[in-house]
Amino acid sequence: MKVTIDGISVEVPDGTSILNAARVIGGDVVPPAMCYYSKLAGSGGKCRTCLVKVSKGSEKDPRPMPKLVASCRTTAMDGMEVQNMTSPEVIEARKGVVEMLLINHPLDCPVCDQAGECDLQNLGFEHGAAKTRYEFDRRTFNRIDIGDKIQLHMTRCILCYRCVFTADQITDHRIHGILNRGDHSEISTYIQAAVDNDFSGNVIDVCPVGALTDKTFRFKNRVWFTKPVEAHRDCDHEKCKGEVTLWYKGDDVLRVTARKDQYGEVEDFICNTCRFDKKKTADWVIEGPRKVSNHSVISSNHYDTMKPLPVVKANPVLQEANKEQFERETRL
Amino acid sequence: MGRKLLLEHINVPGINTFEVYRQKGGYASVEKALKKMTPDEVVEEVKKSGLRGRGGAGFPTGMKWSFLAKPEGVARYLVCNGDESEPGTFKDRFLMTYIPHLLIEGMITSSYALGANTSYIYVRGEMMPQIRILEKAIAEAKANGFLGKNILGTGYDLELYVQPGGGAYICGEETALLESLEGKRGNPRIKPPFPAIAGLYGCPTVVNNVESIAAVVPIINDGGEEYAKLGIGRSTGTKLISAGGNLVKPGVYEIDLGLPVEEFLYSDEYCGGIANGKRLKAVVAGGSSVPILPANLFLKTINGEGRLMSYESLSDGGFVSGSMMGSGGFIAFDEDQCIVRNTWNFARFYHHESCGQCSPCREGTGWMEKVLHRLENGHGSMSDMDLLVDVAKKIEGNTICPLGDAAAWPVASAIRHFRDEFEWHVTHASEAVTRNYGLAHYADPLPKPEPKPEATA
Ligand SMILES: Cc1cc2nc3c(=O)[nH]c(=O)nc-3n(C[C@H](O)[C@H](O)[C@H](O)COP(=O)(O)O)c2cc1C
Ligand code: SF4
Ligand code: SF4
Ligand code: FES
Repeated sequence: MKVTIDGISVEVPDGTSILNAARVIGGDVVPPAMCYYSKLAGSGGKCRTCLVKVSKGSEKDPRPMPKLVASCRTTAMDGMEVQNMTSPEVIEARKGVVEMLLINHPLDCPVCDQAGECDLQNLGFEHGAAKTRYEFDRRTFNRIDIGDKIQLHMTRCILCYRCVFTADQITDHRIHGILNRGDHSEISTYIQAAVDNDFSGNVIDVCPVGALTDKTFRFKNRVWFTKPVEAHRDCDHEKCKGEVTLWYKGDDVLRVTARKDQYGEVEDFICNTCRFDKKKTADWVIEGPRKVSNHSVISSNHYDTMKPLPVVKANPVLQEANKEQFERETRL
Repeated sequence: MGRKLLLEHINVPGINTFEVYRQKGGYASVEKALKKMTPDEVVEEVKKSGLRGRGGAGFPTGMKWSFLAKPEGVARYLVCNGDESEPGTFKDRFLMTYIPHLLIEGMITSSYALGANTSYIYVRGEMMPQIRILEKAIAEAKANGFLGKNILGTGYDLELYVQPGGGAYICGEETALLESLEGKRGNPRIKPPFPAIAGLYGCPTVVNNVESIAAVVPIINDGGEEYAKLGIGRSTGTKLISAGGNLVKPGVYEIDLGLPVEEFLYSDEYCGGIANGKRLKAVVAGGSSVPILPANLFLKTINGEGRLMSYESLSDGGFVSGSMMGSGGFIAFDEDQCIVRNTWNFARFYHHESCGQCSPCREGTGWMEKVLHRLENGHGSMSDMDLLVDVAKKIEGNTICPLGDAAAWPVASAIRHFRDEFEWHVTHASEAVTRNYGLAHYADPLPKPEPKPEATA
């Protein structure tokens, strides 16, 4: 089956969604996804950031679709033509969605524990406007502890439902859902009944923002000061492969998370023992440093660039020294 | 005087009981359908009648029925949408209260046509009295052999249940209704799959409005062609209109589609004109979700033709100068009403009722509500109108279910047609909290349309 997205054609199996077809192509044609999570059945369709324009329905029925569609929940058809980055209408609508996602979200990334690895921060940076037009109080909630390891701060939640699907699908009994309606909806564990389950910690990883955070790591450090390292252990939980990322500061393991792919989705869910209880290097077999995209702020303290850093001050002596240094290095 | 099909016997004492209803010829359509017709013939009659869904979208009912998937060995369901919570609409409640057997009869005939053996009537939770009335009517029908096993000895079985909802407007959206009926949180589903393929419990399902189902009764009794003779063009038959607002005689009226709006509004048979001798300022023609129109554009289309109460005529002019039939919730505003306040009130409703699944609707409805509240209370600014139009545009068409559109349209249309009044709320902020803008030019005769060289529309 052939699908064309932004003029690039790709062959995909029947039943592939437009979003996943775009991911096969990769790069800029991939629409951003804040709620869809390929590992969670039924997810997607809610945040509307992945809206695209279908300019040709299929080979059989070439009519364009009347409205923009959520690419994560729309199945691609043979001969379908889709516009993402090439459609001003899509760019405009997406900008609108990002604005909507941010009107009730606090704009205080510097004090949020998720900063640096937050999908919403990235989305706002890439697709949003620099200023807000919203002039009213934002909705706020108190922080809630979900058990002793996870903290929920609804104020930052974008209601993507990923954690709800996680609770539904990978933990065995659900005590986690959504209460209320509209912009006063809240993630809830019913009278704060702790989500007590071997896999509950994964809600932290699926959360695209700083609404669900790891209490054993919260505010211990900024994520870009830590060094991610791939490691594994022989986990005796039958559903856990024990393949994780360790986040080091010096010799200390500050945090353990599942490994995430380039779309921020975990490769395999991990159990709470691996996540919360194994925080010594001796618990793990180290595989090597984790590759971090050079677009990410996490790579910013890895000074392995070949180019000299930009000099802030126009000091002629410094500039000269830098030039020398640069020439020496490039000769090597 | 139009013919009454649904409300013909509404004034007969005791019509809410089985005996009286039966004496007046009730349940004849069940006898006719079950004994003399095949299910497909019933569907065919409904198709011929041209009946269009009375729940808001106006989709042809016969067509919807014929789309129902019929895989072997899988149950099919008919669900009646009695959630009616659209501000301005109260016709289904009227029907369920005073002539409940009409709905039960329609449900039996329609279930037979669709091959459903279990059917549900989903009624909004606040309508507890109506739920009791329906349950009593079902018990009576069952006692008389019109429900249960082997109805009238024809071998057809049907169980009918009434399900109270939790009282959320969003549960009127058909897929949210199905979720709620399954006992889940009433979030609209992402389509496809459509209910006709995978609806209630994943089985093929038809969801129809109370009035649509009731209309099946006269269609089967008199034949689809007879029904189609009433009305005009593709708006066939009769329609219940819930008339409210500043009218001399508000209430539920059954009209022949195609009735001139002027006659509906001013004749003594229907609304009897504007109350207290005031003048008409604006009309919401089909429930809070449809665009609001100023008096002049409501009475006449932009081309100067008199408007009719029909699907086509009310939407003449599209979003620029038209409105919609919607669910038939007719609200008239006299010269003393404030459009800003009313728009804020509607926005407040949609903000309160958004299910919160998709970001544009969840956040945008609240944003519009806050801006409108500010305008109404004299703290607005001139840029607020453009902001509102822009926010409405960002919501419209970008959401899972049409509630987003329904929230955007009243705001966008109010600003389109009543911008002067909004601006006056900014320029005369302190005055605006003590008095209303008044009629202004909203009832002035429309400028003569430019004569078009070629009419190709
Ligand atoms: C937000 C929303 C609320 C709705 N509420 C109702 C309702 O209260 N009653 C109703 O019959 N249809 C309602 N509808 C329309 C239904 O989704 C559906 O179109 C209708 O029940 C189909 O019946 P019909 O074909 O007989 O009109 C609503 C739709 C939306 C989007
Ligand atoms: S808490 Fe996080 S994962 Fe859960 S709905 Fe909110 S943003 Fe999504
Ligand atoms: S449009 Fe509004 S009501 Fe409909 S699914 Fe989205 S958030 Fe819910
Ligand atoms: S990722 Fe498609 S709607 Fe959220």
